Amino acid sequence: EETGDDESYEFGKGDFTEHACRYCGVQNPACVVRCNVPSCRKWFCNSRGNTSGSHIVNHLVRAKHKEVCLHKDSPLGETILECYNCGCRNVFLLGFISAKTESVVVLLCREPCLSVNALKDMNWDLSQWCPLIDDRCFLQWLVKVPSEQEQLRARQISAQQINKVEELWKTNPDATLEDLEKPGVDDEPQPIALKYEDAYQYQNVFAPLIKLEADYDKMMKESQSKDNVTIRWDIGLNKKRIAYFVFPKEDNELRLVPGDELRLRYSGDAAHPAWQSVGHVIKLTAQEEVALELRASQGVPVDVNHGFSVDFVWKSTSFDRMQGAMKTFAVDETSVSGYIYHHLLGHEVEVQMVRNTLPRRFGAPGLPELNASQVFAVKSVLQKPVSLIQGPPGTGKTVTSAAIVYHMAKQGQGQVLVCAPSNVAVDQLAEKISATGLKVVRLCAKSREAVSSPVEHLTLHYQVRHLDTSEKSELHKLQQLKDEQGELSSSDEKKYKALKRATEREISQSADVICCTCVGAGDPRLSNFRFRQVLIDESTQATEPECLIPLVLGAKQVVLVGDHCQLGPVIMCKKAARAGLAQSLFERLVLLGVKPIRLQVQYRMHPSLSEFPSNSFYEGTLQNGVTINERQSPGIDFPWPVPNRPMFFYVQMGQEEISASGTSYLNRTEAANVEKIVTTFLRSGVVPGQIGVITPYEGQRAYIVNYMSRNGALRQQLYKEIEVASVDSFQGREKDYIILSCVRSNEHQGIGFLNDPRRLNVALTRARYGIVILGNPKVLSKQPLWNGLLTHYKEHECLVEGPLNNLKQSMVQFQKPKKIYN
Amino acid sequence: DDEIHVRQKVTEIDPQEEADFERELRALMQESLDSRKLELRARPALNMMIPMNVFEGSTKDHHGRGAEGESGDETLDEDAGGSKEVQVKVLVKRGNKQQTKQMYIPRDCSLVQSTKQKEAAELEE
Ligand SMILES: [Zn+2]
Ligand SMILES: [Zn+2]
Ligand SMILES: [Zn+2]
Repeated sequence: EETGDDESYEFGKGDFTEHACRYCGVQNPACVVRCNVPSCRKWFCNSRGNTSGSHIVNHLVRAKHKEVCLHKDSPLGETILECYNCGCRNVFLLGFISAKTESVVVLLCREPCLSVNALKDMNWDLSQWCPLIDDRCFLQWLVKVPSEQEQLRARQISAQQINKVEELWKTNPDATLEDLEKPGVDDEPQPIALKYEDAYQYQNVFAPLIKLEADYDKMMKESQSKDNVTIRWDIGLNKKRIAYFVFPKEDNELRLVPGDELRLRYSGDAAHPAWQSVGHVIKLTAQEEVALELRASQGVPVDVNHGFSVDFVWKSTSFDRMQGAMKTFAVDETSVSGYIYHHLLGHEVEVQMVRNTLPRRFGAPGLPELNASQVFAVKSVLQKPVSLIQGPPGTGKTVTSAAIVYHMAKQGQGQVLVCAPSNVAVDQLAEKISATGLKVVRLCAKSREAVSSPVEHLTLHYQVRHLDTSEKSELHKLQQLKDEQGELSSSDEKKYKALKRATEREISQSADVICCTCVGAGDPRLSNFRFRQVLIDESTQATEPECLIPLVLGAKQVVLVGDHCQLGPVIMCKKAARAGLAQSLFERLVLLGVKPIRLQVQYRMHPSLSEFPSNSFYEGTLQNGVTINERQSPGIDFPWPVPNRPMFFYVQMGQEEISASGTSYLNRTEAANVEKIVTTFLRSGVVPGQIGVITPYEGQRAYIVNYMSRNGALRQQLYKEIEVASVDSFQGREKDYIILSCVRSNEHQGIGFLNDPRRLNVALTRARYGIVILGNPKVLSKQPLWNGLLTHYKEHECLVEGPLNNLKQSMVQFQKPKKIYN
Repeated sequence: DDEIHVRQKVTEIDPQEEADFERELRALMQESLDSRKLELRARPALNMMIPMNVFEGSTKDHHGRGAEGESGDETLDEDAGGSKEVQVKVLVKRGNKQQTKQMYIPRDCSLVQSTKQKEAAELEE
């Protein structure tokens, strides 16, 4: 008989049972496990449904979660799966072993516990370790697979839906599959335009893209926590604690840079209480170690070395400043001049000339003489409110920029603001500008004050500390006290801050030129400054909103320097990149019809090396400012196939492989031959500092470093001194000899990173004296540009194979390039 | 006849999806392994003694309902039918307390090879 006791039933709640599989809804307690990551705690079942792995394994892999707990009503009861011996909870490391004589089984981790020999003597059979996850499924006797009936009644979720919902959970952990159908979630953002009605429309387009990129950046960085980190302790010159440790990196994923903030944690043990501290990365050593300067020196467990955890502390500062700049651009009429406002938005504006008396000579003291195209650039720029300078590799962009800044500063229109997206570029420019005799202040982010810089004497924080006049003695006294004690009393701290601010202001105001990164231009210390003249170097590597930060401080005259034929800004969020965030302001202005002034004489490459890049990327306009004689290296006996043509394409047929990280590629044959080439260079008298090995893939980079240090035929130290880097990180740099390892070698998968012509341009234009390219012509020749390069090398008899001491021209057949429809 | 027959939808798994997934899974395993290997020489102390009560009356009657052990043994209610499965005790820790739980695992599982050998040896005796 029905009692009508409705309350004890949960009508319609089937789908919402807490422990139901979040993918398919199966809720049999014997078939589900809970993800044990605190921010997740979702349940998943052990059925495969329509996917290649079971639902729980799918979740763990997609979300990179690694711990699980069994249901209380499952045969084992509520149990967090962990190593019986050490407590490790990483399910990807766990497996069962059984006792030799009894039918007793126990979970044990593969590393290190399974390799502890003493266990063998303890009645455990280590030979039959049975992994917890097998065939992409949890052991079916531990977590049951739902019956066929149960599976048929469950939601039929596809792999694509799984990917989407996992993606959604990264920003909204409570999202459901139904949310996938809601409008907005899957929509592509509004793409960028060529022209904008007004700055509000501009903001409406870019603000969501910056938000997307910021969310992605945050999600990615905060998910990069590492456990079981081993620390090496040290003390810095400023008496602060420094922790050294290894933090692995992967392609397209987190790359730590100096100034990044990390949190170091220790969960405590019998002798040490739990501890944590934040710190700033001050450098990355050649041995791939991160040096973290801790903010607080007290209570640091320096006698412990193992078992630390590291989290990334994400900062929204740079994104906030971009959003702020767009807002200022829209609401503040004085943010930029009317001409620049309309020009940037793509409105038709009558050409305007800047009325300034031009200098008699366009060079500047302390700089090399300018060539004709450089003089032309300086002269044109000084007369125009908006100009673009395109500086192909080695054409003296920095010198030209410094000369422009020198003349601008001499025009008496107030201080000049000089920016670039990267700190390295800002430092280089600051140095060159300072050489002209101008007073330069290099403003660094507070988080980078401890990072060593080649222009330290120009930095604001250095100048504040070393302004040694008697009136400032109060500040000095307080500074010393603070250094010694680590902190000041609150009244002293107040006094110290006020004095410091006043001194910073005074020094900054007396400068002719302020140099900082684009994001740095949004520093509150510059909030009351106005800059009519702004020069941005490397502007093709910045996003539009990033470029806007230095502009909205009152710009009337703007110079953007860059090269849109080299690599652009790195956008991590694919959606934002697809919508056009990767296009720089420089490029849009080019599309709007602003003709960049091109610097035409290159001083870097041997003329043989500049020929192909000039023809393929710069319509053949690149002239050589160096002669063959100036790029000959007497006494260096290297087996170039054609004398006087220090280049060859070394045909490689080795297979590509996926690297251990799973996100990158490597090629062992190429790596082995890189070592042979390096050794041949070293034997011929080239020193390590002259050689650079570049490759598009992090996996190959790491593999080459490792391979050379183990298998190098000469002294190990020599190989350690050779820089092995990614192509991207080498933009803006040069070496005498470059070895390029292309890596990709497969039948069907394509050539990935190598597809981007701008990356090829960067790779080919780093060498001064000679270049060796290792790659598989069969695979590369499918792409038209590579086909052109291979043909170029072949025509010059520089496409070779065989041992280095007996190189022979290769007869390898190229494939027909696929046409690009554009 | 209560049994319903639903025509099984043939589920085709996209080979690309499968390959991607396999790659990511392997990467995660490798990364996990590498992260542990980096932890040089921090070998854990051994803590793997099998509690004595586990041995008492364990293997003699595989399918019998074992008595409640001192450390909190629990038994399965259902009988593991036939001889396709072998009963084992899973040793777990709850805090510092050791506990065993009975489970049935397939006879062909590599884990029970040694147990099977031992049974065979017993039979021969
Ligand atoms: Zn999870
Ligand atoms: Zn499921
Ligand atoms: Zn373990």
